[in-house]
Amino acid sequence: MKNPREKKINTRTFILLFFLFLWLGVVVLRLFELQVINHKNFKAEVLRQNHDVEDIIPQRGTIFDRSGTILARSLPRPSIFYYPPRDESLESHRTKINKLKRILSLSSNSLNSIYSRIEKGKTFIWIKRKVEPELAERVKELHLNGIHFDTENKRFYPQGKRAAQLIGHVNIDDRGQSGIEYRYNSILAGEKGKRLILKDAKHREYRFETLKDPEPGKDLILTIDETVQYIAEKELAKAMKETQALWGTVIIAHPSTGEILAMASHPTFNLNVPPRNVSSMERNRAIHHTFDPGSTFKIVTASAALENKCVRLRDRFDCTQGKIEVPGKTVWDHKKMGILTFPEVIIHSSNVGTIQIGERIGEDNLHAMIKAYGFGEKSGIDLPAEERGIFRPIENWTDISVYSLSIGYEISITAVQMLQAISTVANGGIVTSPRVVKKIRMSSGDQLDTNLQFRRVISKETAQTLSQILENVVLRGTGTQARIDGYRVAGKTGTAQKFDRSIGRYSNKIHTASFAGFVPVENPALAIVVVIDEPKGLFYGGDVAAPVFQAIAAQTLRYLQLPKDEPFQKAIMTARVRSAEAR
Amino acid sequence: MVSKKFTKKQIAMGILCMLFVITLLTFYIWHQAESIRLGYQSRKLEEDITSIKKDIEQLEAERASLLSLERVEEIARHKLGMRPPEEEQIAYHESATQKKKEDR
Repeated sequence: MKNPREKKINTRTFILLFFLFLWLGVVVLRLFELQVINHKNFKAEVLRQNHDVEDIIPQRGTIFDRSGTILARSLPRPSIFYYPPRDESLESHRTKINKLKRILSLSSNSLNSIYSRIEKGKTFIWIKRKVEPELAERVKELHLNGIHFDTENKRFYPQGKRAAQLIGHVNIDDRGQSGIEYRYNSILAGEKGKRLILKDAKHREYRFETLKDPEPGKDLILTIDETVQYIAEKELAKAMKETQALWGTVIIAHPSTGEILAMASHPTFNLNVPPRNVSSMERNRAIHHTFDPGSTFKIVTASAALENKCVRLRDRFDCTQGKIEVPGKTVWDHKKMGILTFPEVIIHSSNVGTIQIGERIGEDNLHAMIKAYGFGEKSGIDLPAEERGIFRPIENWTDISVYSLSIGYEISITAVQMLQAISTVANGGIVTSPRVVKKIRMSSGDQLDTNLQFRRVISKETAQTLSQILENVVLRGTGTQARIDGYRVAGKTGTAQKFDRSIGRYSNKIHTASFAGFVPVENPALAIVVVIDEPKGLFYGGDVAAPVFQAIAAQTLRYLQLPKDEPFQKAIMTARVRSAEAR
Repeated sequence: MVSKKFTKKQIAMGILCMLFVITLLTFYIWHQAESIRLGYQSRKLEEDITSIKKDIEQLEAERASLLSLERVEEIARHKLGMRPPEEEQIAYHESATQKKKEDR
């Protein structure tokens, strides 16, 4: 039998354990209620108070040239915005914004827009987006109530104006507006993701859950070579300065692959600081502008003549008068040339001789050849807003169309179409679509552009004969200023009168000078087109455009270390420093 | 009323059970606290990595800008007094010539 003391202890122990288990039971029940019964509601409540769902903005892809030089990249920049505190007066808001005016160089238009938004009671107002970090720091130091900062990506073009029209630019929201930035916007931009951020009582972020992975913008590797582009732009700018021309363009390509190595336009601009009248400067003259080709088009006429066997190389044409009558007009040569063989007609660019050749070719054959070369159609280059040019259907031809077209009138073409034509001859009669993007870099590896299209335009024999004729144009014809020591160059000059709307006919005062050529003739590595519009002073293609071709081709061949066609010395390619006496 | 007498063994078991539950709860709370601490640490490291990556990208872009060909040519010509080699100063190695032909 238990004594009373033991009994008392047992009772107390029992009571203690009872309350302890009761407490535990209550805790467990409460936990059950919180974690199981009301889990959904409480989780929703907690999430509502302590979490944020924010967009994960993918970084826009970088654009590289073919050797990996950065041409465009997005970099983080602070943006400044204003949450107007509700308890402040309008005057107080204005005072605060005025303090930022000088630091951020806010224009009066921007200020008025900000004030107007404050007056309308807007709760979120951008002050200035994508500013330099130093400026943002200066604003932070002011500790202004309601001024906040966010980080956005700003497009930066390390090379400034290099290939400006080709690369294009983006707007403030990073959407491509022109050039490659526009054409490949969806690939460069990627897709936004979503992220859940959990915050503690002090609003410190302690946990992140990615609800949707962002798809980062993919990088683009262009076919453009930055150095070749630099050479083209430098020489084009030099020619533009010398000739005081209206505009000019240069395209350099690999004839066999269609890869564009350079595409320069003038006038140009710095992509980092686009001028106000950017719309006129951002026109890519190589694809957005059409012109009458003039004598460079004789390549097509000669192709039609050879391909359709309308002429033999020894056929002679009477060009002694220096002029020829066609229905309703007289066409002149730039000088009297005597009796010329078929190649000589092209070599000396005789309009009189070419019109006689055109007559032999006939409308149908000439029309078919122009279509075969792709004139009047887009070349398919991967750039936006390419012009088709103007080439009327044969039903709309007049009595003189066959003569006009033979010498490059009654047709309007783009420089890239001319490049297609000269590349066809260089490439043994086969044409390839031109392109500016070589690869798309993806996380799973590079995606190559395999959608290359090859098409035969003229036979290999015709192309070879034409190459020889065009080589002679440079050796002893109108294109002698395109000659490069040690290399075999082929090409054709063009000087087209421009249509003057004020007098309603072609003017003999304003011209478009052009040169289309390739080098080396044997196994061509470069096809180049130069177009210079309305040069002042000298205006012949051979005087204005051919020297630009020569300067660009010579430097590019050296840069590419392409050996000369003549025998070479046995030594490593090197630049020997001249002796002091030699200087 | 007859009260049940707990043996020492039963009391010890009870205390052990309580200790176990308390340990379990303590571990749970510690685990939660540690998860949050690691969360902060992880977040900071992620931010550091992102920041360093951005710095690298920024520096790469700056390098590209500093190596822009206009700038290089300007320095070469005007500061260093350099000029392009004359034609007669350039020679091609035969094997390089062959390689270039093959590349084409």
